[in-house]
Amino acid sequence: MARVTGRPNIVLLSLMLAALLAWWGLPSVSVAPNRIVSGSAYLAPEVAGVGLAALACLPMVAVMGLAWRPSRTRLAMALALVVLMLTALPLWLSLAALRLIDPTSPGARMGIGPGPWVLLFVLLLALIELRTRLGLSRRLGWGLLAVPLGSLGVCLMRWLSPLALWQEYQGRREAFESALGEHLLLVGVAVGVSLVIGVLVALAMRRWPAAQRAGFGVLNFLQTIPSIALFGLLLAPLAWLSSEVAWLAALGVSGIGWAPALLALVGYSLLPMVRNTYVALEGVDPTVIDAARGMGMSHGQVFRQVRLPLALPVILEGIRITTVQAIGLTAVAALIGAGGLGTFIFQGLGQAAMDLVLLGALPILFMALGVDAVLGALGERLRPGGTP
Amino acid sequence: MIELIRVSKRFGAETAVDDISLRVEKGELCVLVGTSGCGKSTTLRMINRLIEHSDGEIHLDGQPVRTFREETLRRRIGYAIQSTGLFPHWTVARNIGLVPRLLEWPVTRIQARVEELMNLLGLPQEEFADKYPSQLSGGQAQRVGVARALAADPEILLMDEPFGALDPITRETLQEELRALQARLHKTIVFVTHDMDEALRLADRLVVMHQGRIVQQGRPIDLLRAPADAFVESLLGGEDRGLKEAALLPVSERMRPLRASQGHAQERIAQHASLREALSVMLWRHAERLIVIDEDDRPVGELSLRRLVRARDDE
Amino acid sequence: MSEARSWGRQRALCHWATPFAWLVLLLALTLGMEALEGGFRLLEPDSREIIYTRADFLVLLGRHLLMVGTAGILAIGLGVGAAIAVTRPGGRDFLPLVSQLASMGQTFPPVAVLALAVPVLGFGTVPVIVALLLYGLLPIVRNTLVGIEGIDAGVREAARGMGMTGGQILRQVELPLAAPVILAGIRTSVTINIATAAIGATVGASNLGDPIISGIVNGNTAYVVQGAVLIGLLALTVDSLFAKLMPTRG
Repeated sequence: MARVTGRPNIVLLSLMLAALLAWWGLPSVSVAPNRIVSGSAYLAPEVAGVGLAALACLPMVAVMGLAWRPSRTRLAMALALVVLMLTALPLWLSLAALRLIDPTSPGARMGIGPGPWVLLFVLLLALIELRTRLGLSRRLGWGLLAVPLGSLGVCLMRWLSPLALWQEYQGRREAFESALGEHLLLVGVAVGVSLVIGVLVALAMRRWPAAQRAGFGVLNFLQTIPSIALFGLLLAPLAWLSSEVAWLAALGVSGIGWAPALLALVGYSLLPMVRNTYVALEGVDPTVIDAARGMGMSHGQVFRQVRLPLALPVILEGIRITTVQAIGLTAVAALIGAGGLGTFIFQGLGQAAMDLVLLGALPILFMALGVDAVLGALGERLRPGGTP
Repeated sequence: MIELIRVSKRFGAETAVDDISLRVEKGELCVLVGTSGCGKSTTLRMINRLIEHSDGEIHLDGQPVRTFREETLRRRIGYAIQSTGLFPHWTVARNIGLVPRLLEWPVTRIQARVEELMNLLGLPQEEFADKYPSQLSGGQAQRVGVARALAADPEILLMDEPFGALDPITRETLQEELRALQARLHKTIVFVTHDMDEALRLADRLVVMHQGRIVQQGRPIDLLRAPADAFVESLLGGEDRGLKEAALLPVSERMRPLRASQGHAQERIAQHASLREALSVMLWRHAERLIVIDEDDRPVGELSLRRLVRARDDE
Repeated sequence: MSEARSWGRQRALCHWATPFAWLVLLLALTLGMEALEGGFRLLEPDSREIIYTRADFLVLLGRHLLMVGTAGILAIGLGVGAAIAVTRPGGRDFLPLVSQLASMGQTFPPVAVLALAVPVLGFGTVPVIVALLLYGLLPIVRNTLVGIEGIDAGVREAARGMGMTGGQILRQVELPLAAPVILAGIRTSVTINIATAAIGATVGASNLGDPIISGIVNGNTAYVVQGAVLIGLLALTVDSLFAKLMPTRG
């Protein structure tokens, strides 16, 4: 329910104060003549003059004014202003690129300074706050982001070619696409395999309760071991296996590469998968099962028509946790040569090329958030009997 | 003594309690009764300032409650609620000793007091002192809740549907015990319930609330005999009122001296039993006449069906 | 009487047996890795160096613990403090935002957080500690909120009705009741951070991740296994310690 009070919304006030500080106090962009040299930083007024920088503060001040005596309409107006500011952020960077980058020097590149990043973070927080206060659905919240994303897309196509991150992407377009493909494939296969094994293990645990303690013990143990250690520990036995068994080597199994990565990913994915499936199947209201049996449904009918549909949202929750976790772990797997977007992160860290790090890290972040949002929404939809 | 003078409570645009005045005398058990949302709980919680009143004044022994520090006020007033609110991480003994410890009583005095209360409420010390709330039955937990409310020997006790979540038999037992306890302790009690039978059974003074206002207040018997309006009448049970009234009156009220000549009535009834019980015995035994006996089983009078059903004004 | 006491001591010993066993194994391997040279030789028959010698394993373990410990203590202080602040009347306005942020933030992969910290904070130990702190905050804040908000409304109502002050309710009722959930949050936070700190070796923080990274770079499986075993044992020691700290429900 929307809780709109007459008191000042101190959350919005503090957020906008932080935005103002970031705007005036933190560098907006940094410009470097080429990839090697570290750039020089520019504050907002240095980019476009004090007048324009001050003009850009108006919406922030306006949101503060609206938050001082909030009502539903005023908060809705504030929401519109926040979306407007998010939309304007890429335009601002475009303006900086046009003003500061010499079009005659092709190597010149522009990095995004801490200012816009902080601003982006603060504005997103304001968006969440307003969405909650206005009681808007999560889906609408994501929908509102379409406008700023569209603006970003247009700016990237037209004016933001000197952006260092974009240049890193342009220079590695094919590598990026294949890394993305590898990443998705590893995550997909790992989640798929662990879903099948996980459901079977959960069913087995229901059948033989004695196996349950031991099973969870092993899976918990596995989950505790840090990913980098597990990847490392798998290295030795797999290397040995591939040197001893010819057909495994022919398949491409070796100490490094996709094989230990996939094995470890499946190992980590099993715990959330098994736990959620087991809890979901066990957690179905016993009176419902009792009623179903009492009506004369057979065991199979009870399972297929009652227990499974009721358990589905919780099982899906397990898939969500597993997938989000696997996206992050796959990044680590790049260390042992499994490919994926983590490659860019570790390459970038090795070369101290921060934009290359971002090229790996940002898509991973967006993938995790995206999967979380989509599977979360699907879970809501699948909840039997609708959302209460 | 508690006194509410023209008290109102508004939540935003909504008026939960609307200009009520109420006086609860020292030693009186006052029951606030009404449908859910009528403002009875809000009224109760304004007395110990869990909710601040918007208008009017609330006095405790002549002193406005706002002049006390909130915590000091509440430590002086016992408070028991439906969910018991026992602290799940504390033993029964520690739960009961909460307010004395807040008041910084010496340890030995707290121990003695806890022991005393556990005996008073029928919770044998050896068995219950070290138990945790999750190990108690509903009735036992509620007893601990009442013991905790009584711990610092407060003058005033506020009870918000304390027996509402219990099964009917346990509820009735605890109502009996509360009556017996009150007969010994003479606390000033404000008790909130939506159960009219409970209200009639416990109340010295019955206050009926509806939509934030007091519709009628007085002795239970007076309300039964003269409900102020149709709402009170329906709340009191409509056609069932006769039985409810009979339940409030003791047999001794309608009996007359035993006439030796008509000693053939065989069925007996205790003199402190209610008229309702007497009627039930008559119906069950097909008897129009009962011998009334005292505590020592000696006949002290007789009760006829005609006298039982006779209108009260032609006594 | 003394019999009962010794029995009690025995039980306490049994209680701590698992973490103690892991700890002994961890320390034994940290100090005596050289003794296993023969075994590692099988993994890397051709390499000149079999045991990682660029730094003492004990020093690496100490640094690893220092990083995780510093980040952990700061995260506990800040996280529990923040969660308490937003559940008080004065800070309640921030509650919806903080709780959404804490649950959304947990979908961020720890590696991505570490990688994003480097452009802002640079290379070295301190940036890694800051990244660990930031990421470690989330489960602690989230669990503290869940723990405090999950307390039965009747309990809080009774506590207030009995005349407990806000501070007394927090110390005597809310924190003890939320403690198991908070502890679970700290456990998650520390477990993730032990793993993430090891990856911190790639951004110039020296710890038990070093042998792994240098083993991968130089193609020396023995180094990788040495680092991996020690990190694994460290994680198991700490995790089993937390498992024993969890109350078994009185």
